[in-house]
Amino acid sequence: MATTTPTRPAAQGPDPHPTPVRRAGTTTALIAKVLGLGLVLGLAIAISPTLIGQSRWGFLAIVWAIAVLALATYAGRRALPAKYILPGTLLLLLFVIYPVVMTAKASTTNFGDGTRQSKEETIAQIVASSVVQSPDAPRYTMTVATEGSVTEGPFTLFLVSQQDQSLYKGTVDGLEPIAAGDVTVTNNAVTAAPGYTILTPQQVNAANATIKDLAVPTETGAIRPLGIRQAFEGTTTLRYDEATDTITDTRDGTQYTPVTSGDREFFTSADGRRVSDQSWLANVGLDNYQRALTDSTIRQDFIRIFIWTVLFATLSVGTTFLVGLLLATTLNDSRMKGQRLYRSLLLLPYAMPGFISLLVWSGFFNKDFGLINSLTGLDIGWFTSTFWARTAVVLTNLWMGFPYMFIVCTGALQAIPSDLKEAAAIDGASGFTQFRKITFPLLLVTVAPLLVASFAFNFNNFNAIALLTEGAPFAPDNPEAGGTDILISYTIRLAFGAGGAQLGFASAISVLLFVLTGVIAAIQFRATRTLEDVN
Amino acid sequence: MSPRVLVLVAGAALLTTACGGGDTTTPAASGSSAPASSAAAEPSPSGSAAPVRSNADLVIWTDELKAAAVKPIAAKFATDNGITVDVQVISADLQANFVTANAAGNGPDVFTGAHDWIGNLVQNGAISPLQITADKLSGYAPISVAATTYQSKLYALPFGFEAIALYRNTAIAPDEPKTLDDAIKVGQAAVTAGKVESALNLQQGDNGDAYHMEPVLTSMGGYLFGKTSAGDYDPKDLGVGKEGSLAAAKKIAELGEKGSKVLRRSISGDNSIALFASGKAAFLVSGPWALPDIQKAGVKYAISPVPGFAGQKAAKPFSGVQGFYVASKGKNQAFAQEFVANAMNTEASMQAMYDGAKIPPAMNAVADKVGADNPDVKVFVEAAKGGDPMPAIPAMQKVWEPLGKAYSAIIGGADPAATMTATGKTIAAAIAAAG
Amino acid sequence: MTDKTDLTVEPGAGTPTSRAARPSTEPIPEVKLTGARWWREVGWRHLVGLVAVLFALFPVVYIISAAFNPLGTVVATGLIPTAFSLENFDKLLTDPGRPYLRWLGNTLLVALVVTVVQVFCSALAAYAFSRFRFWGRRGGLLTLLLIQLFPQFLAAIAIFSMFTTIGEVIPRLGLNTLAAYTLVLFGGALGQVWLIKGFFDSVPKDLDEAAVMDGAGHATVFFKIILPLVRPILAVTGLLAFVGAFNEFLLASIFLRGERVKTVAVGLYGLIDQDRSNNLGVFAAGALITAIPVVVLFQYLQRFIAGGITAGAVKG
Repeated sequence: MATTTPTRPAAQGPDPHPTPVRRAGTTTALIAKVLGLGLVLGLAIAISPTLIGQSRWGFLAIVWAIAVLALATYAGRRALPAKYILPGTLLLLLFVIYPVVMTAKASTTNFGDGTRQSKEETIAQIVASSVVQSPDAPRYTMTVATEGSVTEGPFTLFLVSQQDQSLYKGTVDGLEPIAAGDVTVTNNAVTAAPGYTILTPQQVNAANATIKDLAVPTETGAIRPLGIRQAFEGTTTLRYDEATDTITDTRDGTQYTPVTSGDREFFTSADGRRVSDQSWLANVGLDNYQRALTDSTIRQDFIRIFIWTVLFATLSVGTTFLVGLLLATTLNDSRMKGQRLYRSLLLLPYAMPGFISLLVWSGFFNKDFGLINSLTGLDIGWFTSTFWARTAVVLTNLWMGFPYMFIVCTGALQAIPSDLKEAAAIDGASGFTQFRKITFPLLLVTVAPLLVASFAFNFNNFNAIALLTEGAPFAPDNPEAGGTDILISYTIRLAFGAGGAQLGFASAISVLLFVLTGVIAAIQFRATRTLEDVN
Repeated sequence: MSPRVLVLVAGAALLTTACGGGDTTTPAASGSSAPASSAAAEPSPSGSAAPVRSNADLVIWTDELKAAAVKPIAAKFATDNGITVDVQVISADLQANFVTANAAGNGPDVFTGAHDWIGNLVQNGAISPLQITADKLSGYAPISVAATTYQSKLYALPFGFEAIALYRNTAIAPDEPKTLDDAIKVGQAAVTAGKVESALNLQQGDNGDAYHMEPVLTSMGGYLFGKTSAGDYDPKDLGVGKEGSLAAAKKIAELGEKGSKVLRRSISGDNSIALFASGKAAFLVSGPWALPDIQKAGVKYAISPVPGFAGQKAAKPFSGVQGFYVASKGKNQAFAQEFVANAMNTEASMQAMYDGAKIPPAMNAVADKVGADNPDVKVFVEAAKGGDPMPAIPAMQKVWEPLGKAYSAIIGGADPAATMTATGKTIAAAIAAAG
Repeated sequence: MTDKTDLTVEPGAGTPTSRAARPSTEPIPEVKLTGARWWREVGWRHLVGLVAVLFALFPVVYIISAAFNPLGTVVATGLIPTAFSLENFDKLLTDPGRPYLRWLGNTLLVALVVTVVQVFCSALAAYAFSRFRFWGRRGGLLTLLLIQLFPQFLAAIAIFSMFTTIGEVIPRLGLNTLAAYTLVLFGGALGQVWLIKGFFDSVPKDLDEAAVMDGAGHATVFFKIILPLVRPILAVTGLLAFVGAFNEFLLASIFLRGERVKTVAVGLYGLIDQDRSNNLGVFAAGALITAIPVVVLFQYLQRFIAGGITAGAVKG
């Protein structure tokens, strides 16, 4: 019992049962537990009606799975580790793992620009946008009215011709002229009609899905609503036949059928004309992986970029660590005045928000007008040769990262028990030997996990490339992979670049990248485990 | 203890549900209540009855430059129709953001953008065609209507032009140069005399800039895409790598860093305008967006269309047209159509657009009125009318980056003919691969 | 008792009184060093320090110079300010189309909430990984490291569609809300497990075992005994989490569109992306103000950074 006293002075003394503390603890815990679980359950119940209403069964299942999991974990006394791990794990599953799984799913599709929608949607859009205005037909000022409900219809259009102010009433059955006395007309628009409710602009807008499809047949086409108070006459020129999967141009009878081109299909006529540039989302199996692994340009790019990525991450960690260590050993001397000031100033680069530093640095490297060349008198085209661009990237990353390493190393040095070093000094070891044999290994044990974390961060340091060089320089015959591109910046360019989004393909690359980083992580994990054992 | 806890939890759950009152907006995550409520501070004064997505009755996306001009027009539209309108500024990558958001049903109803987006937007089914009478369209410059018409359908209501012209520092070059060679000669003399640092600022940067190089390419007889019989750009007829482009490449190499050093990769979008504005460049190839900076800096300048090289063809810059689009999956399509086809489509609105954003107007009446007392705007409208509409076909996306990077390489000293030929092949392959 | 003292009084404060700060290279305390001897043993250190400070500060000086330069263009800005005015700050703070202070507030709010949640969840999990032996422990740790290597924004499209759906059910958690953006950043809730676990490992186990024998529940042990002991590492990981959230840019640029919900990163990026050459001054002014909270936090927590990361090693 006596051994516990240091941590809880309140429980000290002869009383062997520090019950007050314990009681208070459990009651608070119980209240927190009940409130927390109640909140989770309550939220699940609260959003369930909406989910059921919108038929989102997957969402509903996930919500309740979480609620049940929370209950199962916290209501009972068992599963102690789970109580601690669950909150973070749930967040991780929801906002990292689930998107990763969805990404893997997308990697087997042709998802990208031109293939974002389903085939049905695409066909509906192609047909709907084929309406051609009847050239000489008048425009009408339209008033939408209903004898039924303002949300469901049926809707009637009261139309005033903008040519001759003649009045019409239009329904799906056709157009009929009406007399001026039948309705009230103000400012050339029908504002009231007996037996009808006139829809307000908001109501027209809200019921647009129904109203826009209302076509009042005429001899030369159909009158269609346009916006909230106008109608025009036009004809749909394309028709889709589901049985034959054919789009037909009703003006000249041209037939368009799906023809495959690359990873997608287009409705194409017999003489090779496409009815539209729109294609649709389709499953392509493992084609994207096949392309990534077999296309010779991509494979070469990938290998070259992979090597540079590893080099970049290694150099970034190595240079920042070396400079940080050098500064730490140099400045860690109690005889020096102003140590705190040095530390405060040297910290500034790390405290500056990273994206700001990168944007500012990118301007420094301009050959003729940049700060670096003008301060040093050099005449280097920094971003025009791969070597110098890489140097610039590493230099900038050094600036951004060395303060962190400096502080870490300072701390680690100060934490090394001085008696160890004193013993070595007595044994006659020189300063450097002392450092090499004693200080450095001890320091390494402390900072190794940080070095691994830093490597991982730099391996995927998108900002460092995207905001600094944008991957430059590029070979003119290969605009997709630049000299300073690392895997992540390359992937992002493939996915969202100016060449058009290739999301399916980029997802496949992401998955490959994920596997690759996994392997590297596993190797590093082994390495750190060795270090752990040493410790 | 477990059963007791369960009962208590159930009680607390009921309480939560009751307090929520079926309101599904209770913050779900611990600690996130504060951000949730601050997000709710987005203006939504209408109190509209829509159960979800109560944003506004019309949502417009635009960039910062145009927002100031759109807002008053939108406000008037809101008052006229008794609705709420929300104008949102999208600071980066409006097109990509729009396509993604629209596909997810989360986009705006109306947005502004350049006409060369149309091909990509159409292939993604992201925009709806407009139905505007030929009568009304005749009020706009024909090239602006042609640019916003894609495969015989009008997709945007044009409001402004973007084209590049030649600025000259009149203290260095008082007279309008007849040819680009003249301009370069005057500029180089000024550099030699130590009066300026750069003869001609034609921004390229390290990754090149095919847009600003277009006058050079066209003057030397190059082109990007040929045209079909119907007048649309033809992705199968690629001009890069063909004769004219090779002549242009040779010219660029002569002017490049291994030649007369007029074209330099260190002159980029970051500094091109600023150098001219601070009097350090004799000439500048840029668009109307450079005007405010140059005027503010107070340097004496004049503008003329970019001339061609001596003995060569006329230079044709790209004509860009800015327009209003109706999103295909907006929540308020009726208001969107109403806003674009009627509210925007008036001289007053177009005048307000010019007053707010200072983009050279596409509507003839406004252009005439503004041009009468603003010669700069007149030059830009003329430059746009004399150019070629920027190709809007999706294949154009495969051109920008490779061609820009080829220009940059040639300026740096790469073999002009070989580079241009290789780039032509790269682009053609990319177009073919995209189907 | 000694354990507690050692851990909370951080060893890296660098003050002469600190036990560890006593330099081992100093056999006999010197009274005063002079001349060549001073230079050989101390002076050169100042030289190295000065060079490092110059390297560290010249970009900072550039930003300051740009922020106070009324011309505010790339061309007109050098290291040494040529003019002084507060015009850029005025423009930054008064333009109604650019609610800079709101961006800053949003950023601070998001960063704080994310920091608290991340540190709390990580500490919980780290405790389990450090103290309990259960099925999947090693695998779980390895998986955590692996997941951390996966850049979340590669899955940006999936996250985007996910929040579109969520937004249809719970509008306040839809896209373009800070709440949704914060939630996404919660995905990194276990990001600090490794660092914290290392620290937990160094806290002697008999401490909590004794408390349990004393009758305390596991929650009491965790909240009342262990957490106070590991304050330094909580401060450090908190700082790392804060800086991470503060600097996040890619997801924010996808999620936050309304002017009023933007973070500083997206807002300022929009400013410089639009017209770098002319907005440099305003951008730099914004950058300076943005850096202030981080710098202040850093200066305040500086001692923890050294102490927190390395105190674990002291325990050996």
